Amino acid sequence: MAEEASTQNKIRSGDTVLLRIPNGDTRSVKVEKDLIVSIGRLGSFSSNELIDHHYGLTFEIVGKNLVVLPPQNIQELEETDATNEHIVGDGSVKPVTPEEMAAMKEAGVHVSDIIKKQIDQHTNFELKTEYSKDKYKKKKEAKYAKVFTTIPPTLFNVCEYWYNKDQGRIRDLRIDALSQMLNLANIRPGGRYLVVDDASGLVVSGVLHRMGGQGRVLTICDVETPPAYPVMTQMNFPPEFKSIMASLNWATCQEDYTPIISTWDVEEDQIRSDKQRIRVNKRRAASDFLQSTREDLFAGEFEALVVASEYDPQSILKRLNKYLGGSCNIVIHSPYAQILSDLQVVMRASAEYLSPALSEVWLRRYQILPGRTHPMMNMSGAGGFILHATKVYDDPSAVPVEAHRRLQAKLATETQKSSDIVPSQQEEGDVAMTDAT
Amino acid sequence: MWSTAREIAPGDTVIAWLTRDLIQPLVVTPGKDLNIRFGYYRHDDLVGVPYGSKVGSRNGKGFIHVLRPTPELWTMALPHRTQILYLADIAFITSHLDIKPGSRVVEAGTGSGSFSHSVARSVGKTGHLWSYEFHELRASKAKEEFTRHGLADIVTLTHRNVCKDGFTVESAADAVFLDLPMPWSAIPQAKKALRKDCLTRICCFSPCIEQVQRTVTALNDAGFTEITMYESLVRPHEVDQVPPMRSVDDACEILKKAEQKREDKRLRQIAATRQNLANKRKREGEADLAEEESHHDTASGKRTKTDEIDDIPQEPISLDRNIAGSSEVADSTKPTAKTTVSKAFPEVRGHTSYLTFACLLPASPEVTVDA
Repeated sequence: MAEEASTQNKIRSGDTVLLRIPNGDTRSVKVEKDLIVSIGRLGSFSSNELIDHHYGLTFEIVGKNLVVLPPQNIQELEETDATNEHIVGDGSVKPVTPEEMAAMKEAGVHVSDIIKKQIDQHTNFELKTEYSKDKYKKKKEAKYAKVFTTIPPTLFNVCEYWYNKDQGRIRDLRIDALSQMLNLANIRPGGRYLVVDDASGLVVSGVLHRMGGQGRVLTICDVETPPAYPVMTQMNFPPEFKSIMASLNWATCQEDYTPIISTWDVEEDQIRSDKQRIRVNKRRAASDFLQSTREDLFAGEFEALVVASEYDPQSILKRLNKYLGGSCNIVIHSPYAQILSDLQVVMRASAEYLSPALSEVWLRRYQILPGRTHPMMNMSGAGGFILHATKVYDDPSAVPVEAHRRLQAKLATETQKSSDIVPSQQEEGDVAMTDAT
Repeated sequence: MWSTAREIAPGDTVIAWLTRDLIQPLVVTPGKDLNIRFGYYRHDDLVGVPYGSKVGSRNGKGFIHVLRPTPELWTMALPHRTQILYLADIAFITSHLDIKPGSRVVEAGTGSGSFSHSVARSVGKTGHLWSYEFHELRASKAKEEFTRHGLADIVTLTHRNVCKDGFTVESAADAVFLDLPMPWSAIPQAKKALRKDCLTRICCFSPCIEQVQRTVTALNDAGFTEITMYESLVRPHEVDQVPPMRSVDDACEILKKAEQKREDKRLRQIAATRQNLANKRKREGEADLAEEESHHDTASGKRTKTDEIDDIPQEPISLDRNIAGSSEVADSTKPTAKTTVSKAFPEVRGHTSYLTFACLLPASPEVTVDA
């Protein structure tokens, strides 16, 4: 197991790798043996240079080759007396001209020398505070350095990549929200789960990641063929992780609907050619797979229903409720509070759902440079809302304690009114309990 | 871990859900009773009942729900021995540390075991959690719990002070989680416990910013990289159904009606006053007997004095719904359907802790350290 885990920490041919470039952006590149990887302005190199390296390393592109850089730690800055008091933008800064810059790049001058040259020509540089100098250097490095870092394909990193790239496509599902959903749904290796994911496969990715190839996941989608779930691309799951998943759509998951494919079967004596036989066999296999997946759903007793969908959650719940087992966790995400509030009202009125609770997620990142710790100036405001409830089996004969007390109190007063008989010991006790609570 | 069977069996740990704020763990022991505010139950009654069932009490004084335990329910139900970690932090840390099936995790201290249960669930049978607690009683209580919950194979609990004595494992963990008063003092030991053949991660959980700063310095000095810090919270919302909001058009109509009503009254009073004056003059020209009578009519006499024709005492303007006409306005223009609204709870958890994360890159020949 340890060995397996460690090989997963290395870049393999066929992986889709996330790269962080100096300006903070993340790029997704396909690494395939003997293929050239190109990352825009930074240049290009052969995939082979990355294969078998650990994820998380930082490389510099030198020519067509990669050089591994040592890990960088945070440099403590010495406080000086400098302030920015005397710095005025009076035009005395003579920047390096574009021609000079082009010439330096042409001659293959290293980025650190380019920055040094710029600093030399910056008349006010020495007047800056150490913090300002550091910021200036960092800005220049971000602009010119031909450096990148490979990002491990963890759920956290992949979610962050998609959130920054296009948060609409993952329905505002920020990593804190996704993490809470996976925990609330009690996702574990060996579990059985139902997933409705219109968030590009982010929820499915999270669920599969936490199952490690053990258990069963059924996803219900709105397309005829199994959905693509593009987020899974960056997760680089081994095939056995994905094999526990099967998909139905909103038509094929309906019990009283007969999928047309299952009516296509041809009698043995009708098969006229090998070609036709192959076709028939393929169709049979597809039909059998669909049928067994349907049976799996209809068998019910799922442990969790996890939803991030563009469809009305009430309609989803109506369809899937009967397949949820007792104590099943229902976890539904939406970018909008309104949708889940409406759902909560409906669920609250039903004795089948225990304590539906609505919450909003909140996340803030901090800059933690020595002497410069503060929350980031920009934070993401939208991570969405989560509704969690537990599926329960009702017992209509059970009397709520409040109703019981009201009844007892009523009986007690009636007894006192209608007759002079002293209430029994039992009734007295009940009245006292009503008063106490 | 906990039972995955459909029905409850003797010896199972179940969660008795009494109310949202009253959730208690229960080990189903035949022969035992449960006597609570919500009625009287026998443990035998729970045996064979499907998880998730509502169970009525024997004396008809209420009911409970019996739920399958999950680490999340356990966090809500567990006996507090220390301040504990809650869902938002646990979930975020699990994702950031990339804790998944097969992960090997080190945790200090164990505390009340809230985080430990969640990690044990996530790493599963192929993973492992080494948990350390320096308080002897807490350590033994936690150990009992882990055994009772079937986690003995997944969790190894050690009673020791890791800041002084370090961890029992070396180059073994994929991730380390430190919830200690002085996490910086355990960082060199944590580094020792982490694997060196792949990228590994650490999280330090500290409520104070000063602790974070010292931790960051220690992490940096020990060679950790990618140091980041987050704060994660949940804002619970309450959902309500309210009648549709009234339109200012209604207020406008009510005001107009009130104004008209007052004006009508004023005009009536003026008319009445004029009538009184006319009557008085008429009476003055009549018999002495009638004159004496008008002296006794104090009410109308007063009004004649104070009421200048255009200056009648004003009644305060009222938007009271009982004013005639207001109900008609509401009825004619309002749909009866209620609106669903939600807002954050008036009092919510504003801070739990700062979560400081860092990575340790593999020490391999491919990295030439000569910086």
